[in-house]
Amino acid sequence: MSERYDSIVVGGGLLGAALAWMLAREGARVALLERDQLNQHASGQNAGSLHFQLEYRMVEHGWESARTAAEAMPLHLEAAREWAALGDELGESLGVAQQGGFMLAETAEQVEVLRRKTALEQEWGLDVRLLDGDEARRLAPYLSDSVLAAAFCPLEGKADTRIAGPALARGALRLGAEVRTRTEVVDLVPAGSGWAVHAVERSEAGERRLRLEADTVMLAAGVWTTRLGQLLDVSLPTIPLALMMSVSAPTAPFVPHLVQHAGTKLSLKQTGNGTVLIGGGWPARLPLAADGTPDLDSRPTLLQSSLVGNAAAAIGVVPRTASLPIVRSWVGTTTVTPDQLPLVGQVPGRPGVFVATGGSAFTLGPSFARSLIALADGRPPGIDLHPYDPARFERLSHARR
Amino acid sequence: MPDAEATSGRAARLPSERGEPAEITVDGRPVGCFAGETVATAMLAAGVPAFSHRNGEPRIPLCNMGTCFECGVTVDGVPLTRACLTTVRDGMRVETSER
Amino acid sequence: MSAAHDLVVVGAGPAGAAAALAAADAGLDVLVVDEQRAAGGQILRTTPPEFGGRRKLPTGYPWAGELLDRARSHPGIAWRHGATVFGILPVTADASSAGGADASAGPGSADGADASAGPASAGFDVLTSDPADPAGSGRVRARRVLIASGAYDMPVAIPGWTLPGVMMAGAVQGFLKSQRLRVADRVVLAGSHPLLLIVADQLLAAGARIEEVAIARGIPSPVELLRALPAVPGHVRLLGELAGCVLRLLRAGVRISTGTVPTEVLGDGRVQGVRLARADRGWRQTGPARTVEADALVLGYGFHPSTELARQLGCALDWDSAQGGWIVRHDAQLETTVPGVHVAGEPSGVAGAEQSRAEGELAGLTIAAALGRPVPERALAGARRRIRSASRFSGVVQRMFAPRREALLELATPATEICRCETVTRSTIDGFLDENPFAGTADAVKLACRSGMGPCQGRYCESAVAGLVAKARGTGVGEAGRFAAHIPVKPVPLQAYVALADDPAEVP
Repeated sequence: MSERYDSIVVGGGLLGAALAWMLAREGARVALLERDQLNQHASGQNAGSLHFQLEYRMVEHGWESARTAAEAMPLHLEAAREWAALGDELGESLGVAQQGGFMLAETAEQVEVLRRKTALEQEWGLDVRLLDGDEARRLAPYLSDSVLAAAFCPLEGKADTRIAGPALARGALRLGAEVRTRTEVVDLVPAGSGWAVHAVERSEAGERRLRLEADTVMLAAGVWTTRLGQLLDVSLPTIPLALMMSVSAPTAPFVPHLVQHAGTKLSLKQTGNGTVLIGGGWPARLPLAADGTPDLDSRPTLLQSSLVGNAAAAIGVVPRTASLPIVRSWVGTTTVTPDQLPLVGQVPGRPGVFVATGGSAFTLGPSFARSLIALADGRPPGIDLHPYDPARFERLSHARR
Repeated sequence: MPDAEATSGRAARLPSERGEPAEITVDGRPVGCFAGETVATAMLAAGVPAFSHRNGEPRIPLCNMGTCFECGVTVDGVPLTRACLTTVRDGMRVETSER
Repeated sequence: MSAAHDLVVVGAGPAGAAAALAAADAGLDVLVVDEQRAAGGQILRTTPPEFGGRRKLPTGYPWAGELLDRARSHPGIAWRHGATVFGILPVTADASSAGGADASAGPGSADGADASAGPASAGFDVLTSDPADPAGSGRVRARRVLIASGAYDMPVAIPGWTLPGVMMAGAVQGFLKSQRLRVADRVVLAGSHPLLLIVADQLLAAGARIEEVAIARGIPSPVELLRALPAVPGHVRLLGELAGCVLRLLRAGVRISTGTVPTEVLGDGRVQGVRLARADRGWRQTGPARTVEADALVLGYGFHPSTELARQLGCALDWDSAQGGWIVRHDAQLETTVPGVHVAGEPSGVAGAEQSRAEGELAGLTIAAALGRPVPERALAGARRRIRSASRFSGVVQRMFAPRREALLELATPATEICRCETVTRSTIDGFLDENPFAGTADAVKLACRSGMGPCQGRYCESAVAGLVAKARGTGVGEAGRFAAHIPVKPVPLQAYVALADDPAEVP
């Protein structure tokens, strides 16, 4: 028995839920398949930063890689607009607050990084300006005296990772989409003009095999994208990064902004509940499977060096965080690509199958979704997607042979 | 002098040998106690109506063994310190927590 | 950082103390970490030394005094009291540096993963708070760890249970035993565990007015009593103690109601009364509720094992309602599914002090043997025999007093707070489950509703949240799953992380 859809979305994170909702809104018959529960992995575990300035990880390797990373700026600019409107369109809050974000410098060298970074971003059209330490402290009295300069982007802010994905999935449900959790895709094969998706649905009663058909398949599987690519015999290289975040007990509001750092891994913000979220890319240890590849199904381990480093970075620029009781430090596994640019587009040689992942996939999720749906409809996407074409790795791997 | 209404039903020290008299402050008010007592004991015996709040609701110790955190108070500047696991020290400053 | 220990034991109750003693007797260098000021755990809590006088241990455990004395004076055992273990990290070859797991890995590398991750043969870093500095922390290296962290009173969410004056049976007993404090004048006790009667008796002796003891279950049937008889030898003293409690309560005119459950706590800002109602054999309310005026409600429905460190370490757990809910999976040597991590006492299944002590002894001996110390087979056999003997009794207690969780869950009305920390009501959780048919685990509810995200980290709402998921989805509580646990398993100030640095000068 086979069930027929216009589109099947693989992956129940923010991107998958956004895709399902946007597709359903266009009248498509949609099924979203998720192997676990919705929103349980990177989308629900990241810190919810809406950051549009280049991140520390993009500027720490010199200007060549910063220039490359800046090529994703059109996606960021669109994402800034998308996030501002998304909650209203959906009719449900996604916990979005765009009250501006700082990237801080504490040394002369970091001030120089900010200067060049700001100029680069301004070329791409981002609203960002450089402030000296006193100007920054006037806007953000919680910053320490060690802050010498700050790049301020008024568009930046946060979304609530706990509620954004599920809210979009509920929106899709209301429009008739099917959402199937505990359902893992095990094969993707051409069927007529479209695709047959073979899946296994797990429950207490056991396993049930499903065969679903659709004209288009959207891969929104984050760190599992490479595995899905293998089902299609296509190289979709991703690198899992296990990253640590911490959250405090609720405290009276004192940090309305997103806070990042130009010289160390740090992101810091206060949620609507009053909790303070601290992260910024401090690594955790991802265990390896027997075959030497990262074991995505095992829990990563925290590193003591990250606990120390992240705490010191936060206390250094926002001293009041020192006494905040930390309730949880957890690990989420995010996805990057070998060249730091996201993968967005049609899967090479597999018409009807589309993919998006990599980079700041939470921040960029709404842009990714909008772009893939335009491509699937044969409409020109609002932005030039060539730099993110998944075929770039396919070409590379052929060239190597 | 506390009124009768406030004292009725409150916790009471049993006749027993205790440590040397000591004094802590709770939200700035002096609270007499005895060496060896926990902050929770001192506060309950003094009839403090709320150690902490959860979205404005008052809380006092629930578990008395360090797991529920409802006795979390600020002790000498350190927030969410469990009163049930903290022994009083003469001059200790305790603040109940709002929220 | 201090030198490595062969064994770090978390918890100084009967299990932890017995394990430390057995391991140290066999030649291991042991550190015991415990949150309380003195060894003994909850069951053997006594007044602090400042109170003077003679230490008074409960009469039911004749071995307790000698165990604690021997353990405390053993040169092979170091003690860190007043300290919380807030996490345990497996040590791998490169643990001293971020090394292979640097997120800033360059293009093309797979450095998000760590090639050296594997069996935790290099031991563990045990992260503790610093008893001398509440903002500090400490780190101890251990070749093996034993989780003997005990249990806490099982939470039961009823309307009004967040009012000041609702306390757990263990809390009330702790105040009496170790602080000589009576928490209230007029008390109602409600529950199903035998401890409830002991606490009622102790409160009575302390001058409280026991307004009523409401016991959920009925009087044991003759068949149940016959089944219980073979388990009694060796535990006569405990049963005798219980019988004495009941006699004294009845003699004082205390009303002990069987087949009775609390349906609501009344009061404005503090407990002023309790509503009690008749319940059927399945603990479901059958009749209208009546009001009993009181200053406190004491709840005693049993215990949940403290398994947060095992969870944080990634040990497998199994759902076993009668043994206290989620218990840590272990082999016959009490080793968990994470090599080098052992468990003894309540986290292996709530079974009381007698069995905890025997398990601790076995765990201590097997760890010593695993680390190459000679351990006579005779000693191992003796410990196993004591576990078997104790488990006959604990098995009967578990069966006779097993909580009827589904019925207890129904005491929560839509407006009842399930999560006390984040004040999440039952209707919020039920509503989320209604509107999100794709959500089917306790962790999914936690993420969406914040129930379980507060300072207690879900200890007091997990079972109710999972119960609501199970009810909504028609599954078992075990299938609804449990909350993940993370470092810190109990909150610490952010600066405590900085204090973990090997060398403060290296802090970036």
